[in-house]
Amino acid sequence: MLGKLGLSAIPFSEPIPLITSIIVILVALGVLGLITAKGWWPYLWREWITSVDHKRIGIMYCLLGVVMLIRGFADAIMMRTHQAMAIDAPGYLPPEHYNQIFTAHGTIMILFGAMPLVLGFMNFLVPLQLGVRDVAFPTFNSVGFWLTASGALLVNISLFVGEFARTGWLPYPPLSETTYTPGVGVDYYLWAVQISGVGTLITGINIVTTVLKMRCRGMSYLRMPVFCWTSLASCLLIVAAFPVLTATLAMLTLDRYLDFHYFTHTAGGNPMMFVNLVWAWGHPEVYILVLPAFGIFSEIFSTFSGKPLFGYRSMVAATLFICVVSLMVWLHHFFTMGAGAAVNTFFGISSSIIAVGTGVKVYNWIFTMYGGRVRFEVPMLWSMGFIFTFVIGGLTGVLLAVPPADFLVHNSMFLVAHFHNVIVGGVVFAIFAGMEFWFPKAFGFRLHEGWGKAAFWCAFIGFWVTFTPFYVLGLLGMTRRLQHINFPEWSPWLYLSVVGIAILILGVIAQVMQLVVSIRDRERLRDVTGDLWDGRSLEWATPSPPPFFNFAVLPDVEGEEAYWGIKLRAVETQQLAPEPDYRPIEMPVNSPVGICTAFFAAVFGFAMVWYIWWLAIVALVAAFAGFVVFAWRDVHEFEVPVREVARVDRARRAAREALLERMSRHGALP
Amino acid sequence: MSNLGSDPHRHTDMLDGREDHAPGDEPEESAGHWVRNANLGLGFSVVLTVGAFLLAASDVIYPPAIPVALIVLAIAQMGVHLVFFLHITTGPDNANNVLALAFGILVVFLIVIGSIWIMDHLDQNMMPMEQMMRMQR
Ligand code: HEM
Ligand SMILES: [Cu+2]
Repeated sequence: MLGKLGLSAIPFSEPIPLITSIIVILVALGVLGLITAKGWWPYLWREWITSVDHKRIGIMYCLLGVVMLIRGFADAIMMRTHQAMAIDAPGYLPPEHYNQIFTAHGTIMILFGAMPLVLGFMNFLVPLQLGVRDVAFPTFNSVGFWLTASGALLVNISLFVGEFARTGWLPYPPLSETTYTPGVGVDYYLWAVQISGVGTLITGINIVTTVLKMRCRGMSYLRMPVFCWTSLASCLLIVAAFPVLTATLAMLTLDRYLDFHYFTHTAGGNPMMFVNLVWAWGHPEVYILVLPAFGIFSEIFSTFSGKPLFGYRSMVAATLFICVVSLMVWLHHFFTMGAGAAVNTFFGISSSIIAVGTGVKVYNWIFTMYGGRVRFEVPMLWSMGFIFTFVIGGLTGVLLAVPPADFLVHNSMFLVAHFHNVIVGGVVFAIFAGMEFWFPKAFGFRLHEGWGKAAFWCAFIGFWVTFTPFYVLGLLGMTRRLQHINFPEWSPWLYLSVVGIAILILGVIAQVMQLVVSIRDRERLRDVTGDLWDGRSLEWATPSPPPFFNFAVLPDVEGEEAYWGIKLRAVETQQLAPEPDYRPIEMPVNSPVGICTAFFAAVFGFAMVWYIWWLAIVALVAAFAGFVVFAWRDVHEFEVPVREVARVDRARRAAREALLERMSRHGALP
Repeated sequence: MSNLGSDPHRHTDMLDGREDHAPGDEPEESAGHWVRNANLGLGFSVVLTVGAFLLAASDVIYPPAIPVALIVLAIAQMGVHLVFFLHITTGPDNANNVLALAFGILVVFLIVIGSIWIMDHLDQNMMPMEQMMRMQR
């Protein structure tokens, strides 16, 4: 009846997971209780859970990502402190637990932390920047988000019920085959990643279609903001690469569940094929993350330098170049697996060539600042910290891309330092920069500047103090993922790294404080104009927060930097464009199909993990039924009456007129 | 495309006239034309499929050439599917579809050829088999 599930699945004998579980469950119950007590359920259900508004979905994506970043950070703290305590000593985490922690850390940070945040930014921004009212498939969008959330839920359930994989974030066979990992850990990994992978693919398709098909009038490809370009490239990579991941994990699943032999040593299988295929996804994946980050920085550099982006066209070309070349470098993750000189040389060179595209971008950002009136606001601090950090990460990447050098430091702490250097310095810094930058757009008030600066400096210094020792440790010969350490010579560096993590904790506290203080002082921090950074792209043409239909009348774009053009014209003529002729707007209705499908998908995954076959079948049928019901719907949109459209837009125009007057009085514009 | 009228997210009105349209977004195609097109495609693909079986089972052509003939038929079959069912044409408003196809082919090509090359190479740094046997003895 319950498959393999029994009371023994609950970790009663292990204090750390047990206590964590109890605390998490209590907090979750507390939050749910609070929502119930305050009667917020109907509001949440109507306005958020079933919402098909791309901005709401984007915000929920980001919220999921932030929560998961914190979860992954907790794992990181445990790994650092454990290693520092495990030098010729047992430390405090037994091997099987330590192995779960580094696996969960990698999986969560990349697939459930960074990915949702990046997808969230795309969802929120792309339609606004393209001057349209929604993504191409709004309900599909909600399905995609909730499927990702289901995957995250499964990973976190594994903390209390059963165990998580101990194989590393890419479960290499033969270790991940049933022979060597009989438990449910790898199965949790497989189903969680598969379900969220489908969600990611859905969002990828959605954004590609939106960019290709739904730009407002006059928004030709070469007038799109760079963020839209990088989102397009990133989503093209999603569409190209995620099916490879799905197929690879499906084969491993068949090996585990039905005794297939794709990746076994026996019966003609080949574990090296897994490594090959998983990296054919894995390398594009890192560019899926970092390309939108490049887009975010491009927007910030030009806005805060008060200049158009330097070399817009070369930026677009570099983006597309990276998009294609990143599909032909994957072997650099396994130079040491046995390939001969021809193969290793080819992939070594192609990997180094990627750095050319990235270099073009770095110079463009620097030249954007050069000669501009640079404002050192918080988003700009993150961006400048990014250039410094990312360039060093890129350089060590190129070093690793030289096969003879890689043979020395492959899978060492040097490698760990490299990828944190690019992922934290590139993606995470971009996320925080972007949050500072667009938070006022999303919520109508800006974040507290002092706490923001504190958060930046703690993160920047903390990052370097934590990870520079890794480069040294790697060169001293320390491999990654060590549960026990018997070289006392390494201890100073490991201790230094703990100091770094302490500084990073201060950074996280500063971020939380920033949010709390900003919410408390929101009236003082209110953005009434909708354009508080003196922005250049169309999202700043809307009020903050934008109405659910984004634009009362869709803009008509006449050049690059769409909104900047409109603004200049308004300043020159000292008036806004004449009031347009308002028309009713049709918007898609909300739909519970996303959350229902995702709920049953999560049940399905859980049932598969524990071999509860009947439940799996029921859940699968139910998930499918949701779609069928949805396909038969007969009301799919509603009309926003002209009166409402006009009211919202007149308020916006009034705010803009006040802004225009203020600007001409102070001469804020060139 | 009978449900065109009820498709909730046709933003065709927001697109430039010059812009191309996604499958399912083509406004004017009449139902009659669509049916004719699909039937034509069905006819072609049935002919090609049956032809493949007939060729393989009989000796109308020089037997060693049969594999080549089958490959030719298979490629023709792909063409029929692309043109009649996936509506890939050379028309001016088809740029996106053609580009998508090209991108897809590029990706499949890179991953398949790359994997074959890599997997074929993976024993390059291994000791020759006889030497290994000698050491085990
Ligand atoms: C300048 C371009 C880059 C080059 C040449 C490069 C090169 C490499 C090489 C050769 C490795 C494998 C090292 C080994 O396993 O021994 C590697 C690992 C890695 N790189 Fe990069 N890299 C670059 C940029 C990036 C970027 C932008 C990201 C992410 C945003 C990234 C993320 C990673 C990750 C996550 C790994 C390790 C994965 C693992 O083994 O678990 N790299 N890189
Ligand atoms: Cu890579």
